[in-house]
Amino acid sequence: MNTMSAPTTEIRSGMPPAAPGAARGPSKHLIFSLGKEEFAVPVAKVKEIIGMLEVTPVPHTAEYVRGVINLRGKVVPVIDLRLKLGVPSVEYDARTCIVVVQPEMAKSVFLIGVIVDGVSEVMPVQSSDIEKTETFSHGLISSGYVQGVAKIRGKVKILLDLDCVLSQADLQQLL
Amino acid sequence: MSVEADLLTWIDSLIVETLAFSPEEGLPGGARMATLAGLCARIVPAATDLGMLETAACAEGLARQIASPGPGFSALLEEQIELLQMNADSELAARLSQQRVAAGGSAEVFQDLSMIGDFISEAREHLETIEQELLLLEQSPQSAEPIHAIFRSFHTIKGLAGIFNLTSTRDLAHEVETLLDLVRNGALPATPSLVDVVLACADRLGEIVNRLDDDRGGNAVALPDNSELLERLRNEMMPPDDEPLAVEAGGGVQEASGGLMIAPTLSPIDEQLTAGMGGLETSSSGADASAARRRANDANSAHVKVETAKLDFLVDMVGELVIAQSLVQQDPSLAQLGEPRLGRNLSQLGRITTDLQKIAMSLRVVPIRQTFQRMQRAFRDLVKKSGKQAELELVGEDAELDRSIVEQLADPLMHMIRNSVDHGLEAPGEREQTSKPPIGKVRLVASHQSGNVLIEVSDDGRGLNRAKILKKAIERGLIPEDANLPVDKILELIFEPGFSTADQISDVSGRGVGMDVVKKQIQKLRGRIEIRSEPGTGTTFLLRFPLTLAIIDGLTVRVAGERYILPLHCVHEIFRPIADSIYRVNGAQEVVLVRDRVVPLLRLYQMLGRTPETTDPYAGILIAAELEGRRYCLLVDELLGKQEVVIKNLGEYLGTMPGVSGAAILGDGCVGLILDLEGMLSKESYDAAA
Repeated sequence: MNTMSAPTTEIRSGMPPAAPGAARGPSKHLIFSLGKEEFAVPVAKVKEIIGMLEVTPVPHTAEYVRGVINLRGKVVPVIDLRLKLGVPSVEYDARTCIVVVQPEMAKSVFLIGVIVDGVSEVMPVQSSDIEKTETFSHGLISSGYVQGVAKIRGKVKILLDLDCVLSQADLQQLL
Repeated sequence: MSVEADLLTWIDSLIVETLAFSPEEGLPGGARMATLAGLCARIVPAATDLGMLETAACAEGLARQIASPGPGFSALLEEQIELLQMNADSELAARLSQQRVAAGGSAEVFQDLSMIGDFISEAREHLETIEQELLLLEQSPQSAEPIHAIFRSFHTIKGLAGIFNLTSTRDLAHEVETLLDLVRNGALPATPSLVDVVLACADRLGEIVNRLDDDRGGNAVALPDNSELLERLRNEMMPPDDEPLAVEAGGGVQEASGGLMIAPTLSPIDEQLTAGMGGLETSSSGADASAARRRANDANSAHVKVETAKLDFLVDMVGELVIAQSLVQQDPSLAQLGEPRLGRNLSQLGRITTDLQKIAMSLRVVPIRQTFQRMQRAFRDLVKKSGKQAELELVGEDAELDRSIVEQLADPLMHMIRNSVDHGLEAPGEREQTSKPPIGKVRLVASHQSGNVLIEVSDDGRGLNRAKILKKAIERGLIPEDANLPVDKILELIFEPGFSTADQISDVSGRGVGMDVVKKQIQKLRGRIEIRSEPGTGTTFLLRFPLTLAIIDGLTVRVAGERYILPLHCVHEIFRPIADSIYRVNGAQEVVLVRDRVVPLLRLYQMLGRTPETTDPYAGILIAAELEGRRYCLLVDELLGKQEVVIKNLGEYLGTMPGVSGAAILGDGCVGLILDLEGMLSKESYDAAA
């Protein structure tokens, strides 16, 4: 279990909560990868990053819900971000890890593990780096899960709207 | 403030001095008596100066007692000092609030949320005591201990109400106190009507406390008008003319600290009373026993109030510790090290962990007494309203079970007791005709039985009328008209939704909440309910609950490569299928022949939507389970063992899943799902219907 301690810096004010591009000043983001794409989520929502654990499947759930893990005594659900975003799935390897995030839903706060291909770094994202995606018409980016794209050091990072990705709206219909 | 502080110190010293007395030794020595007298002499002027007249009078009385010690001296002294302390506390509190009012801050006291919270919880505790003790008093009007306890509690509430400027509340409590004082001194007998009034006052105080609780910190709490109650109280205080020889309510009975009862000089009339009332004697000795037990508790254990969430977290964490410990202990690399010291230390750690786990688990269980006592109160009111004569017998109040079960048991129990009083017990005339004793009996019994807690609610009433139940069930369309049901199935019809046998809707029962709700509530607590009834002799409800809701006795099985936990309480037997015992009926439903009974076969991997390793049922193991009265056989691949697991929920994201009641961390740190067989079957039947 190669547990990395979670970044402790909390920069809540810097992150646009709902309106994309409304941010002022830089905010720290965790960069992770799915295939060739790089994604960014605000570190304030990330609780910790852990290596891949044995996941217990839960019956009658969506395919992207891999199951539950034991996070130091807490039973935490885990989803596969590839499956959730419609990216073809791959075998898990040594780089695969679970990003434990704390999305803010309407009423409550809880933990969810998100399986990604690998995490690379934490970097500040300036609001001036962010481009809005309204004009994009291409697959994933137009899915509503994306808040914008940021161009940092010549590379494009997709800003993922975690709360939206993890909303339970589409989970309920499966029950 | 310094005089006040001194006063309190002196009173404390008084208490400390008297604590050293032992009643067996007779009178305390001269030096100690001199110290006591000296303290009194200092308290009297100080209290007078502060305008604390009751305190001063009390201290004077104490000084008199010390000057001329008589029989039963130490007990009297203790009583007097306790009174002194209470008076001082309440008068000091009153002074404090007066000072605040004078400083123009009448509302300020009230806005302190934490303080009002303390007031509410403390008042509730005292009201609970009052209720219990009043019921004891009603059973044995002669015993002195309940009346003292009630008096003390009202006194405390009065003091608290004074601090918060709840004038009308304080006045009500004060008036009750005055009445109780008369009873205490033997000037008034503890008649049932007196108990009624005091109970009504306690209820009113409870209502006030509830309103305060609903409206924390609001200054505009509308408090009810107490004038009618005050009037009733004052009427009670009039000495009854036709009973000039009011029984001296055991006024002289004092208790020594060892729990021994010394009855100094019973007047002849008292002796006659005790001799003449055999029944009363047992109940009063019961009262004494419980009072003695309570005192023993008070003396031996201090209590701390803890938030339940913290407690649950602690229990969770201890569970984790146990798992982590066993992971370390079973680590194969440790065995290779061959370090004896490490081994010793580890097993020491293991022992500590086990002890810790035991204690943590015990934090979750509480005795059922509190809920039973609430029933007693409700029962009393129900019987009065129904106009029947009945008594409630409580047995096994010390039985312990999970806190949340105890808390949520009150409603279903109340409903069953209500049914017993209203439908079960006959009117006195009817009972005479059937040569039953005129006083009906309802029993509430708790006991431990094979790892479960068994609660019985029984009455000796008319029993359930099977013909009537059948008729009603047919009327309501619950069963077809030509249904031929065995007796136990007929009785179980009363658990069907929308069923009620009451011919007329009374104030007491028949409010549309039926036994179906009771059954649901009990099932929610993982309990089971059974019913037994004989026409003419009575009805018994049997409730069975697990000791705790946090832990489940589980059977770990492997299905399609995953481990699952089946709750052991629904497993009846486990066996390998005998060759050619599995058939397919109508080409669809598979059944197993188990000792000439045809039992439906359910393949767990199918129900869980998993890809099986093998579909051959003869390669697996069958588990016979009983669900909602029906037998099923579940097919699993392998049996891994039986273990107790701590139930955890799956988290909010997944919510409640049909067929899964929770998850547990298994011995190796992985998560295993706990299957909810009932939920799974209802999903199954739902799917089949769709």
